[in-house]
Amino acid sequence: MVNTAPLTLRPLFAVPFAETRFEPCEALNRELETLFLARENDEHRNPSPSHVPQAETFESRFNLFRWPEACVQELRRFMLDAIGRMVLETSAVSAQELRRLKLHNHTWFHISRYAGSFVAHNHPMASWSAVYCVRAGETLPARPASGMLRFHDTRAGANGYLDPANAALHRPYALRPLELRLTAGQLVIFPSYVFHDVAPFYGSDTRITVATNCWFT
Amino acid sequence: MSLAPVHVVPVLAVPFGVVAIAGGHELNALLTPLLLDRARTDATRPFDPLCHRSADDLLEWPDEPMRRLGAEMLRGVVSVLAAVNDFTDAHLRSLQVRARAWFTIIGPDGCLPPTNYPLSAWCAVYCLAAPEPAVSRQDSGILRLQESRLGTSFADATTAQMRLPYRPGHYGWRPVPGQLAVFPAWITHEIALLKSAEPLVLVTARLRFQGPGQEGFTRW
Repeated sequence: MVNTAPLTLRPLFAVPFAETRFEPCEALNRELETLFLARENDEHRNPSPSHVPQAETFESRFNLFRWPEACVQELRRFMLDAIGRMVLETSAVSAQELRRLKLHNHTWFHISRYAGSFVAHNHPMASWSAVYCVRAGETLPARPASGMLRFHDTRAGANGYLDPANAALHRPYALRPLELRLTAGQLVIFPSYVFHDVAPFYGSDTRITVATNCWFT
Repeated sequence: MSLAPVHVVPVLAVPFGVVAIAGGHELNALLTPLLLDRARTDATRPFDPLCHRSADDLLEWPDEPMRRLGAEMLRGVVSVLAAVNDFTDAHLRSLQVRARAWFTIIGPDGCLPPTNYPLSAWCAVYCLAAPEPAVSRQDSGILRLQESRLGTSFADATTAQMRLPYRPGHYGWRPVPGQLAVFPAWITHEIALLKSAEPLVLVTARLRFQGPGQEGFTRW
């Protein structure tokens, strides 16, 4: 006899992940790109990177959102507001409580050129992280992984045993990384504990992103 | 300050073994040109100058140097298994090994993306040819085993700088011609971007050992 009883299915241990867009983004991104390229120099370079520095990827200081330029402040409002909405959507914190919290952030920009990449990492001592795409860079059909932002499955090793019954699970149950090709104007928000990396970018132009880590007190 | 005696041991540890392969340099001299030639003439897989990976049938090749390397790699893996288990020789001999192996040629600005191997117990990476370390990038071409413990999300001055094997973060091993690295196949690992004009040539095997009567081994 076939069991037809209702089956309640829900994801356990789920990772919240949000996407949104700044629309229209062209004017803002143009201003940001011009500003960042002008400040791609030692004065604005991160003086104490936590990773192996590489010539192909410039990382700015972490004080980007303290810059007074209007385009930076507009992006700041957009990104931090979206993170606030993420907190409200995913937690028991009320809007009133959120307003009483102080939001701290480290925010920086990356400019990647040919073969620029970023090793897998997460962000200790922060709760929420976000990446905004200023410029996606050249898309290369022959190199689909070029410049991809990859989020690693938090259940490391859970794919150790696969058989036909679990090898093709669909999201959110799939045991594999999430790979994203960011587009200009796109913002992604995720918990800071999630390991992520950027695959080598093989375009002939630049890939420009802004990243932020936030914590609340 | 007087410190009390303590007994500290690594728990939840990940084994990582390095074995020098007998006759490795001679094998490398024979195999490196053979693999480079096969990569460029393989009609089934167009040569990718950034990262070329062969089919995983190396252990079925009839070429004598490859058969020798396969046997030596297996011997190296078994040495690591013996070091981390309490097996008797008789028990080790009773295990049925299954393995697949392939070669990878990583060229300038190429890399091997992060990966792990389901349905496998061990991963063995043997180095046939490696360029000198790059001045411009200290992690050029290293085998990097990736940190995945999320408890590292809180860090303070005492946890962030512990020494091995307690230190949080990735572990890097620079491939050395003639040496074999062995580690659990579930660990996500990669070959970092290579900053060199010379290629990095590796043979990788994934292996599992079936004991008498053991079930649950599905097809690869």
